[in-house]
Amino acid sequence: MCCKEEEIMAYKILLAEDDEPLRNELKILLENALYQVAAPDTFHRIPQAVLSEKTDLVLLDINLRDCSGFDICTEIRKNTDVPVIFLTARTDTADELAGMLRGADDYITKPFDPAIVLARISAVLKRTAKNIDTEDASRVSRKDVTLDIAACRLLFKGQTTDLTKTEMKILHLLFLHADTFVAREDLIEYLWENRIFLDDNTLSVHITRLREKLKEAGIYDFIETKRGMGYRI
Amino acid sequence: MKLTAYFHDKSLLLLLHLACMGSLTAFLHITGYPASHITLICIFWFLILAAWFFTAYLQRKNYFDEAFRILDHMEDRYLLGEMLPDSFSLEDRLYRDMLRISNKSVIETIRRLEDTQEEYRDYLESWVHEIKTPISVITLSCENGKTAEPALNQTFRNIRLENRKIENYVDMVLYRARSEQVYQDYLICETLLEDIVYEALEKERLLLIQNHIQAEVSCSGTAYTDKKWIVFILNQLILNSVKYRNDSSILRFYTHRDNNNIVLTLEDNGTGIPTQDLPRIFEKGFTGSNGRSHEKATGMGLYLCKKLSDRLGIFLSAQSEYGKGTKMILTFPRSSYITDAKPLPPSK
Repeated sequence: MCCKEEEIMAYKILLAEDDEPLRNELKILLENALYQVAAPDTFHRIPQAVLSEKTDLVLLDINLRDCSGFDICTEIRKNTDVPVIFLTARTDTADELAGMLRGADDYITKPFDPAIVLARISAVLKRTAKNIDTEDASRVSRKDVTLDIAACRLLFKGQTTDLTKTEMKILHLLFLHADTFVAREDLIEYLWENRIFLDDNTLSVHITRLREKLKEAGIYDFIETKRGMGYRI
Repeated sequence: MKLTAYFHDKSLLLLLHLACMGSLTAFLHITGYPASHITLICIFWFLILAAWFFTAYLQRKNYFDEAFRILDHMEDRYLLGEMLPDSFSLEDRLYRDMLRISNKSVIETIRRLEDTQEEYRDYLESWVHEIKTPISVITLSCENGKTAEPALNQTFRNIRLENRKIENYVDMVLYRARSEQVYQDYLICETLLEDIVYEALEKERLLLIQNHIQAEVSCSGTAYTDKKWIVFILNQLILNSVKYRNDSSILRFYTHRDNNNIVLTLEDNGTGIPTQDLPRIFEKGFTGSNGRSHEKATGMGLYLCKKLSDRLGIFLSAQSEYGKGTKMILTFPRSSYITDAKPLPPSK
């Protein structure tokens, strides 16, 4: 849903998961989020692969067929401090601690929400990446209108318009999916992911207000509506 | 042990003595003994018998009083055979041996049942862990399958919603099993209440959006607790609020301080709980008039919440006005030594 935020950063992720359907779906999810994914089906060579492939992040299941994810993590940590996220069905607190003590960066329990997996990966990468270009990600432009995400405002012909957090998030998603219709349901889901817990009617109110704000700023017909399809800019 | 009861128990022996005394008197009378001698012999006989009788009574009374005292103070009463006081009496020793043999078989039965139960619990835990992988795959497939086709997306959304219900039922099985367990599967850490609420809302996101429910969160402060358990409890409470919702529902999460405690409240504007039902909502299997009129209520959710929060040392209570809404209140006690350690006033 919200995955296109990490634009053209082709981080390499190594995915160690022994359940084949889950491995395939995760691979698709991560590739859709524009990561490069290596998903081997044997696991004992993972520590070496991490080094040779210049992996940026390892997603590691704990109960692997022929070995333990804990051991692989310990092995990886001997040579490198590449971020490791455990992915597991075990929910015991003791397991979580064991994972963290072996130097893992995060721990996601099954069954997981795709949005949460992506958010955690992106958070860990942001925390550990050596050089990130924050400048680019904090501004997006379209038809002379620039959204300044960090400052929460809109720039148009030298004029600035302040936005509320909700309006900013709505515009942000529309900017990210420019030229395609974004369904109202997807928009609401995206807002919930960003801790704005509103319902259908309230969204309409926000959209109306946003349109008025745009009009006042001299931006006409910026947000297009199509019944049953959603919004588009 | 009462004297009369003991007297009754020994009545045959006393009768025997009386009979012997009678025959001896008759015999001596026939052989020409003077009546005064006979009377004297009988008096002595009687005195000796009485002394013996009362000593024996006291001794038995002590023995059984001690046995009952031990029984009262024992935690595992089926181990009485090992704890009985020593006794000279053959009967006591035989009974003790019998008790020991019978106890042993009880212990074996208990152990066997415990083993079976533990095996079942282990199986349940591993089953729960295994089912989580296919649940994840379904969620991911729905996410990856998204297209530009709104109808198809709605289908995927419905599948995810149902999938989340399965996940919740699976969690209930796991926590139900764990709530019975003796060992503690939780880790108490300082946790931001805000994070707990966000995580719970995240899990029920699809359900809440689908039912046009808004949420407001204004939580601050931390509590010493286990995050996973509280998230599970909050999820059950949210599910209840969704089940018993009204039009234009809104869920409010807020915290406040109360003496040394921090209180987290979940308030909804749903149907509320009738006053007569309120005291019983945490009982196992209680569905109340709400539960009967709405979609199937099992009477397990709140019971489990109460049980889990009790184990975590959290006080869970409910306030409700029928027709207006419900407040579910979680009170996290703060250890006094933490709150009492106030910072020192700045020195002047």
